[in-house]
Amino acid sequence: MKKRMKWNVKKSVITVLRLLILLAIGYIIIYPLLYMIVTSLKSREAFYASARVWIPNMLDPIYSFATAIQATDYWNSLRSTFLFEIVAAFIEVVSCSVAAYGFARFKFKGKGIFMAGLFLTILIPENMIIIPRMVNYSRMDFLGILGGIESLAGIDLRPNLIGTPWAFYLPSLFAIGLRSGILIFIYIQFFKSLPSELEEAAWVDGAGPIRTFISIALPSSGVVFVTVIVFAVIWHWNDTILASMYLKKDYPLAVMLDRIITTLASYGYYGTKRPEVISILMASCLLFILPVLVLYMILQRWFIESIDHVGIKG
Amino acid sequence: MKRKKLKGINRIKSRYGYLFIAPWIIGFVIFFAVPVFQSLWYSFSEITLTTDGVKTEFIKAANYYYLLKEDPVFVTNLIQAVTTFAYSVPIILVVSLVLALLLNQKFRGRLFFRALYFLPVIIASGVVIELLFMTTDANLSTAGVSSALTSSMFSVQDVVGWLGLPQMVAEYVADIINRIFDLVWSCGIQIVLFIAGLQSVSGSVYEAARLEGATRWQEFWFITFPMLSNVTVLVIIFTTVELFTSTNNIVIDKAYSMMNSGIYGMTSAMLWFYFLIVGVTMGIFILLYNRLLMKRWQ
Repeated sequence: MKKRMKWNVKKSVITVLRLLILLAIGYIIIYPLLYMIVTSLKSREAFYASARVWIPNMLDPIYSFATAIQATDYWNSLRSTFLFEIVAAFIEVVSCSVAAYGFARFKFKGKGIFMAGLFLTILIPENMIIIPRMVNYSRMDFLGILGGIESLAGIDLRPNLIGTPWAFYLPSLFAIGLRSGILIFIYIQFFKSLPSELEEAAWVDGAGPIRTFISIALPSSGVVFVTVIVFAVIWHWNDTILASMYLKKDYPLAVMLDRIITTLASYGYYGTKRPEVISILMASCLLFILPVLVLYMILQRWFIESIDHVGIKG
Repeated sequence: MKRKKLKGINRIKSRYGYLFIAPWIIGFVIFFAVPVFQSLWYSFSEITLTTDGVKTEFIKAANYYYLLKEDPVFVTNLIQAVTTFAYSVPIILVVSLVLALLLNQKFRGRLFFRALYFLPVIIASGVVIELLFMTTDANLSTAGVSSALTSSMFSVQDVVGWLGLPQMVAEYVADIINRIFDLVWSCGIQIVLFIAGLQSVSGSVYEAARLEGATRWQEFWFITFPMLSNVTVLVIIFTTVELFTSTNNIVIDKAYSMMNSGIYGMTSAMLWFYFLIVGVTMGIFILLYNRLLMKRWQ
């Protein structure tokens, strides 16, 4: 009896301690979000007038948000984000699953070498190869084939991909887009954990590998797709480096936000410490994260569940 | 007879393996392998932009020589960036592992906390964090949460001073506390990866351990931790790449502005030099992890 009571005390201490740690770090996580919301709504006077931090007494949301929309060219850059980045993200989600299935399910010669290559694509960051990629994109050649045609027939077929969505789509199509390596790795881990009996039965029944993949492996992979889609969309949404190098105009939202201080300076707002500028900056940040935040709220339950099932083998 | 047939199926299957990864192989060559070598080549070249593309001229290691001997800020920037990197990785690793373990337990409100703790995954944007820093106190170069924690009550330097630690350690500790917000916010995807790893450890191992009378600490130290070794290495690599591509990084920031001005040769040299040093540091981390922590179970 006594022992049991002692055990209960220990257990409740652990529960309280856990709650305290989770709440403390939860505060660190939620703080910037609350700060953004409050600051973007504050009127200029509220910055000076009162010590009330969390519930300002004067609100003036329209001004800061209107300026933020204007400075980021919100609707146009949102359209660019979807056209360039989000489409590329979804292409990447599909193409990576195909490559990963090949790695996870089949034995073939040279697999070790290809796996090492895959590891290199995870290891070497995108910005190491961004300059040559950009140079190549300006006259895209596929393994010297188009260049060969030019020297033979004198017709320059090499297209200029800079400024077109293809600069984003092409690498994604070949499963080598933004951080594809990690996505392929997540897929491989998942496909390996799927029982292969069903697929083997389909083989015996005479279904081809592509059919087996599409109608047997894919339908049971819903959970991994949720994780991968969330990652791919988030990474593309936040991408500034690819977009600022591949595009010359129609920049996506992330790039516009990256350059907002310069834009605001051209409107006559100098410095980053003045109340009106802070309001505008926080309003722009909020507008930037709002679409993904909404997406997250919709997908949240599935995403949290899916992580439990992806299962990365230790 | 039967055996031969099986072999046949396996041969067909291996052919289909190539079919599935063929697009990736092509992409790997065009969009990865070739650019990597080009980029290395550029770092040893003087590059001029012409209307007909770029013109490269081989100048041996002159770019590297300039960076190390003549550039007034590169070496100091590099040292700062690498030290920041070197202490960030272990902290991020430990914080995300502890949070993943907490979130992996069964308790009331688990779903709520998970939803909350995955927010950094969603808002993991260098741009937003940078703007947040700019608008808050510049002296602490961090958001209000840590300034509230440190400046209102006492200065971190003082506390570390009382403990009698040397000044250099004091500065690092102060820096870490000032960056706590930044560090916690860098843990999002790492937490996700760790939870995914924790879930794949089968429950029967724990049951067996409990039957043998293992304590919770032993369970963690002898089962969970070794079972997570691959995930840990993945997290180390991911964190490295993440910190490397972040624009908050002083070397990378400089490289981007040079890139935008079209100074490609020097930028490539800068990136490669930094990447090699970061890569070596990361290698040391993985080696230490394997030698010191993993050896005990082998």
